[in-house]
Amino acid sequence: MGIKVVPRHGSTFVEKLYLPTIAGGLKVTFSHFFQNLKDTSKIKTLSYPEQQPSDITSRYRGVHRLTKREDNTISCVACFLCATACPAECIFIEAVDREDGVEEKMPSKFSIDLLECVFCGSCVEACPKDAIRMDTGIFSFVKKKREDFVVDIDTLLSYKEFKGDKS
Amino acid sequence: MDIATVSIVIINIVIAIILSLAFVPILVWMERRVAGFIQDRLGPNRCHIGGMRLGGLVQSFADMLKLVFKEDYRPDSIKEKLLFTLSPAIVFATSFLTFMVIPFSDDLTIGAKTYMMQALPIDLGILWILAFAGLSVYGIILGGWASNNKYSLLGGVRAAAQVISYEATMGLSIISILIVYGSVNLGDMVRFQGELLWGFIPAWGVILQPVSAILFIITAFAETNRAPFDIAEGESEIVGGFHTEYSAMRFGLFFVGEYVAMSAASALIVTLFFGGYQIPWLNTEALKDNIQTVLISTIVIMPIISFFFARWIKRNNVWPVKDDPRAKETGRLLKVLIFINVLIVLSLALILAFGISSNGVNISVALIQFITFVAKLIVMNFFFILVRWTLVRFRYDQVQDLGWKILLPISIANIFVTAIFVVAFGG
Repeated sequence: MGIKVVPRHGSTFVEKLYLPTIAGGLKVTFSHFFQNLKDTSKIKTLSYPEQQPSDITSRYRGVHRLTKREDNTISCVACFLCATACPAECIFIEAVDREDGVEEKMPSKFSIDLLECVFCGSCVEACPKDAIRMDTGIFSFVKKKREDFVVDIDTLLSYKEFKGDKS
Repeated sequence: MDIATVSIVIINIVIAIILSLAFVPILVWMERRVAGFIQDRLGPNRCHIGGMRLGGLVQSFADMLKLVFKEDYRPDSIKEKLLFTLSPAIVFATSFLTFMVIPFSDDLTIGAKTYMMQALPIDLGILWILAFAGLSVYGIILGGWASNNKYSLLGGVRAAAQVISYEATMGLSIISILIVYGSVNLGDMVRFQGELLWGFIPAWGVILQPVSAILFIITAFAETNRAPFDIAEGESEIVGGFHTEYSAMRFGLFFVGEYVAMSAASALIVTLFFGGYQIPWLNTEALKDNIQTVLISTIVIMPIISFFFARWIKRNNVWPVKDDPRAKETGRLLKVLIFINVLIVLSLALILAFGISSNGVNISVALIQFITFVAKLIVMNFFFILVRWTLVRFRYDQVQDLGWKILLPISIANIFVTAIFVVAFGG
């Protein structure tokens, strides 16, 4: 019950001759080779920098972004919950008083070191205001200096939500 | 020593060097692309010179260049400096010399003289090959020992044991084929295979001696240390085997030597069992008699094949970005293909229009046979590659079991049966 008995191969005479089974294996590999040689378009390999992947979903956990309120101001209230939850300690926040009366505090600096970040998503889970999300769909970031990987608040605010397929 | 003799000797040596040395980048490229296609990947196809990718062939040249310019590093722990340096050279030189007695085409007659179309015009043939095939393992053993490293030594010991056990079977399987051909000269063997059996089957070695052919192919895999018998490298068990301590061009020589050995083994298999340079049903005399028909059919067939080839290039050689130099490659390739076609068809038509002398007939027959030989060589090399990417590596004890308990008795029995058959029916 629940146990599947797999027969042990290699005991019959034909299998002990080796050569017929080897020929079978060669047939399998050659059929793959021949099909792909005839028409390389069936191969799933992407020519990566030129062709971008098309199977990234809206749930993909990419680079972070900071969300905005309906009046186009920052949602973040600089409560430091994300920075506390972060296992890699890569979120750096400096808080100031918020003058427009919507909330008490807002961040003056909010930077994330992408080289330290482990993309666990704990900051998103911790945020009580839904101010930080990882739904940009950005999976590759290439920069020339280490300092450039520390993204600041303006860049984080400028990223847009990624909705499903790029293609 | 007239000009014809000197030029033919030089041409033969150059052909042998091209078929062994210049074939290596092509074989490496073939190996990678075939492996890719077998595993539903693309394989290397990005490297290019001025937009010309040639299907990824440029990549092997880039890799060769990299190996040449890498630092030639030798660990301080190595005491046998001479042997350490010598062993890659032994592997390379022996597998290279094996190629020297393979005939590319039938004996060429120019004027009153006849030339053997092989780099070394000697009659020993198979004996020369056996001598050097056995010698090539010394490079691996000495390299493994001189590396002063347990894993390298294990690799060398494995290679030694394996070659000893398979050399026996290889020699015995060659004996049974020698009984059939009655000669050690490879040229004579190929000429024998140009005849027909009962008037309609080409008398190839694989048809006359199927058991011997299978044994020889299996032992050739073991001799060249290729999968499924590459236990001398055995990277899952003994790091890199005999070439663990080697880097740069020292490793490069091992690497090139392996491919030259594979090519030489393929050439030997083709020569012994698959008719060498002979086109089936068209041996040298038939080719000479029907040279007009052959040339006319070449003029007809070549554009047709090229048309399908061009269609294949157009469909498969694409590059996703339009303004990249690589996107222009397909057009250039098609132009080159058309140019080659026009050139060959025109020259053949000119030859047909003006008629050919007997020397010209001989030379064109030699050329046709050479092309046949290269085609067969490529197919056999492809078979080597296909087997490598199909079968898994044997366990060490299984290799020895297979060699001593199965292959050796079969080869001895095969000799007896063949000898009885030849004695009873008079060959």
